[in-house]
Amino acid sequence: MLLTDISPLLSATTAGESYSDFVRSYLTVAIFGLLALGMVALLLGVGSIIRPNRPQPGKYLTYESGVDPVGEAWPQTQVRYYIFALLFVIFDVEAVFIFPWATRLDSETALVDSSGNVFEILGPYGSYGLVKMLLFIAVLALGLVYAWRKKVLRWM
Amino acid sequence: MNILAAVGVDNPPLDWHALAPELVLVGLLAVLLLVDAFGGERSRWAMPSLTGIGLLAALIPVATLAYDGVVRSMFDGAYVVDNYALLFKALFLIAGYVVVLLSTNYIAEGDYWEGEYYQLLVASLLGMTVMASARDLISVFLALELLSIPAYMLAAWRKRDLGSEEAGMKYYLMGVFASAILLYGMSLLYGMTGSTLLVDIAGAIEGTEVPALVALAVVLVVVGFAFKVSAVPFHTWAPDTYQGAPTPVTAFLAVGSKAAGFVALMTVVLIAFPTQPRIFEPLIWALAAVTMIVGNLIALRQTNLVRMLAYSGVAQAGYILAPLAVAGVSGASAAMAVEAVSTYLVIYAAMNLGAFAVVIAVARKTGSAEIDSYGGLFSYSPVLAVCMSVFLFSLAGIPPLAGWYGKLTIFLALIEPGTLAGYILAVIVGLASVIALFYYARVAKVMFVDPAPDGDTTPIRVPMSLAAALTITVAVTLVVGVLPQVLARVTGAETFLSIGG
Amino acid sequence: MLLNQFLLLAAVLFCIGVYGVLTRRNGVMVLMSIELILNAVNINLIAFGTYLSDATGQAFALFIIAVAAAEVGVGLAIVLMLFRNRRSIDIDAVDQLKG
Repeated sequence: MLLTDISPLLSATTAGESYSDFVRSYLTVAIFGLLALGMVALLLGVGSIIRPNRPQPGKYLTYESGVDPVGEAWPQTQVRYYIFALLFVIFDVEAVFIFPWATRLDSETALVDSSGNVFEILGPYGSYGLVKMLLFIAVLALGLVYAWRKKVLRWM
Repeated sequence: MNILAAVGVDNPPLDWHALAPELVLVGLLAVLLLVDAFGGERSRWAMPSLTGIGLLAALIPVATLAYDGVVRSMFDGAYVVDNYALLFKALFLIAGYVVVLLSTNYIAEGDYWEGEYYQLLVASLLGMTVMASARDLISVFLALELLSIPAYMLAAWRKRDLGSEEAGMKYYLMGVFASAILLYGMSLLYGMTGSTLLVDIAGAIEGTEVPALVALAVVLVVVGFAFKVSAVPFHTWAPDTYQGAPTPVTAFLAVGSKAAGFVALMTVVLIAFPTQPRIFEPLIWALAAVTMIVGNLIALRQTNLVRMLAYSGVAQAGYILAPLAVAGVSGASAAMAVEAVSTYLVIYAAMNLGAFAVVIAVARKTGSAEIDSYGGLFSYSPVLAVCMSVFLFSLAGIPPLAGWYGKLTIFLALIEPGTLAGYILAVIVGLASVIALFYYARVAKVMFVDPAPDGDTTPIRVPMSLAAALTITVAVTLVVGVLPQVLARVTGAETFLSIGG
Repeated sequence: MLLNQFLLLAAVLFCIGVYGVLTRRNGVMVLMSIELILNAVNINLIAFGTYLSDATGQAFALFIIAVAAAEVGVGLAIVLMLFRNRRSIDIDAVDQLKG
């Protein structure tokens, strides 16, 4: 059985020091949240008790200056943004692969376990790795060339 | 600390020969993209020919690798090229070639985007060839997405057509949902075993007791694949998608996508979980039984031939699942199951592609896939009617057609372990086949006996490419049926000693 | 290293996502629910990877992020097509094919 043993982590009692630290830090968040809620309730509550109450239809308009709002509060955005957003997101996400690669291009990387011990050292990729990444980028660029030739990049 | 000393330039060795089929497909993809981008309207006609030539070219390295016969393993065993992988690579490439033949006139005559169509087809085939070699959760996932994402777009190819759009929408939503569930299972599996390599996972979960989380992970993974292979109750997308999508795409999904789903399921189940048959066997047993019965019963009352073929495809998925339900009993039963599934997938590809080829040919004249519109087909296009009967009776499992041999291997695999579960499943396969005979025979009766509904009996002109596709599929269906040892040589149990056993 | 909090968070996200896919009728909302499931998977993978001191989990998560972007790109294109043809993205209205 080489299974990851997560049973101690599934019971709070044996998790030790770090677990109570974790709970304590969340206790702070909880106290902060309760205080915030109490503050809002207090301000609104006091306000509703002491303010005068004279409802008029004019008060419910979006702009009390007299300008009438046009259309819904959920306007639709131009759909032609979509294609640019799409191209951006895809290229942006592909760039994610370049970052881990870049850290290993010409320097070695030490793998460290959770207690700080180095357990493996990985060598640099070197020029061979550079060529491989250039191929990857060339394939991506092919997609961009295609989009350009199909007139997707033009603002219509 | 000897590891500190052993630091040099670190590059995983690449076996270019083993990667050659995939590299040819990537090159083909780049060529198609550039020709489409810079060639303009003049290049449209060249697309199907280029794609066809490229797919056949990718078969050459598959053949040389098979001749070489060495098991090649890369990336710490995450990507393996062995006989099992090569058989399915060849199957996907040939099936892809037949789909190109089916598409040539259909796509050129409808006012569709030709360049993109073939690019997406090749991208999806690339995913399938990767799937055949994937032996790691990450590579299985990447292959699955690479083959699925282009297929979503292909299903919605007729943009202005509400049916095609619905087909794409349903296929997309169910497909993505299935991948998400599959991934959740994979993440738990990785966490519990500490590895994404299927072999290592098998080593880690070996033993009598496994935590409930591992069982949950296995169930989620199997359910995710059940969506992909359209097993009941996860089949609801299949009939709508098949009916709405352009017919060549339907053929591609019904054969390529489904076969790739089965390859993935078989690889994961038989390499990663063989030591825990108690977890996956009852689940797959139930899925197979329900799929066979429900698929065949609903197929009985279909009036549209494509929809009927969709439900028949669901039922066939049940037959293919069945041997996997008893695969965990022993090494021998696993080898028999792999043999049965591989054999059936090859035969299923031939007969189903053929049936869709006839549907496309007939729709060129009648513009319809309703079963009634096939009335009198034998009187004005006897060759098409005979071809269709060959495919339908092969699907039903009538000797001496190929489907019969496929059913036989499934029976043998079910009986081999000698367990009650296997015998019951074998009986269900038999009963389901009898039900299936009714609806296949009904179509044959309409073609041969009924008159043409509109009295129009001008013969159907079958274009060259469709005729070639029909020739290939009829030849495979007949040859394998009469001389099953031809196929048994490549799908025989000893071929797969590296997997399963 | 804390693990079960991350696993619980991922399980909750997964359940919300599955619930959303099954009950939401707006195409974009369904896509967002699927994203929730994928993010649950990523949290799982990275938590396990850190706990096990193994980089595979993080690599897997990177692949999922990239693939999910492509997948959602296709999904938005399909929803957009739906909207252009019908002026609505209610996926319950997509019911031409039955039987």
